[in-house]
Amino acid sequence: MDKLKLEILTPNGEIFNDEVISVVLPGEEGEFGVLAHHASLTTLLEAGVIDIEKVDKSVESILINWGVVQVDEKKVIVLVEGAVAIRGDSESSIADALEDAKKLIRDIADSNPAIASVSVRIESAAKKLL
Amino acid sequence: MANLKDIQRQIKSVSNTQKTTRAMKLVSTAKLRRAEELAKRSRLYAAKMNQVIAEIAGRIKCNKIGGIDNRCFTKIENPKMVDIVFVTADKGLCGGFNIQTIKAVKKLIAGYKEQNVKVRLRGIGKKGIEFFKYNEVELFDTAVNLSSKPDKSKSDDFIITSIEDYKDGKIDALHLVYNGYKNIITQELHVNKVLPVDTEQFECVEQEHSILEIEAQDEEHMLDSLVNKYVEYNMYYALIDSVAAEHSARMQAMDTATNNAKEMVKTLKVQYNKARQAAITTELIEIISGVESMK
Repeated sequence: MDKLKLEILTPNGEIFNDEVISVVLPGEEGEFGVLAHHASLTTLLEAGVIDIEKVDKSVESILINWGVVQVDEKKVIVLVEGAVAIRGDSESSIADALEDAKKLIRDIADSNPAIASVSVRIESAAKKLL
Repeated sequence: MANLKDIQRQIKSVSNTQKTTRAMKLVSTAKLRRAEELAKRSRLYAAKMNQVIAEIAGRIKCNKIGGIDNRCFTKIENPKMVDIVFVTADKGLCGGFNIQTIKAVKKLIAGYKEQNVKVRLRGIGKKGIEFFKYNEVELFDTAVNLSSKPDKSKSDDFIITSIEDYKDGKIDALHLVYNGYKNIITQELHVNKVLPVDTEQFECVEQEHSILEIEAQDEEHMLDSLVNKYVEYNMYYALIDSVAAEHSARMQAMDTATNNAKEMVKTLKVQYNKARQAAITTELIEIISGVESMK
């Protein structure tokens, strides 16, 4: 299966830069998935979860609060303002990440009423890891 | 004899100054390391953000995306009012760091005055604000404590006025002037025209891969919020970059000051020893001549 390169950047640095199989992004007009050889596009992302299917078929979830994505045939560049990756090696680090994610959700909840579904998804993503 | 004491006092005072400057240098070195790290991490984001904006600007210019008439991407003929935002440090003692920015701002203002364009000056950082206040240059608004402790939400709050005024047509350009970090011994002055996004430099080249599309149905809305983020981030990046530059400038200035103090102590010591020898010689002469007269 063809792979595409995914880069996720935040103002505080890069949080993801690797080859992936597919990525699902929370676009302003609904979620959309990107595979390799996708047509070029640029669009805005709203608060939500980015689901990444990695080369080893594992799935990683990253919570974002705002972003812009640039897709071309070979790579996807996502610029986000705030992001928390739900990952970790131990139970405690996953719990920490979950705590950070919840904080980010609280911060954006005021401006976005549709955020409730996001917090449920984050919890389920964390449960899968635990 | 009084001379000897004076010199001693001077030596003491200079070496105290030396102690202070050395401590300040050490503090700046430590702070610089942190600020540099932050700036380095953000640089990538800033570069990509600019790249995305540049690409869109290029497309708009080359009419790849039809029918977009966004003020932020249009070159404005005969501007009437422009915003200049400058970033200086809150503290001095950092060599020519602040004065360089101030000079650049003055030059920019003079250039616009010649064209009869009104300038609205917005200042960040105590030193620059003090300078322009002293010289009776009108400042539209000011922010202190922002350049020493960059804060994203405060910087957004500050710059949003300019973005909105630009979109409303109250101002016709936005300049950002700050002294940025280049490497540990050099600072680089940036005079950036943030709005309108400069489309001049893009050439229309046919690209081979598939044509970029903008997904959102209302392109205007997307461009609007993208431009907001772009300007906000540029502002924030200017602040972080300026902090790193400030610390590197202060570190250098304090290093030079410490060296100068060292030199000064050396010369004073020579002076002191000469004076001491003179005093001893005088005393000896007095004793010898006393003995001579008793014979």
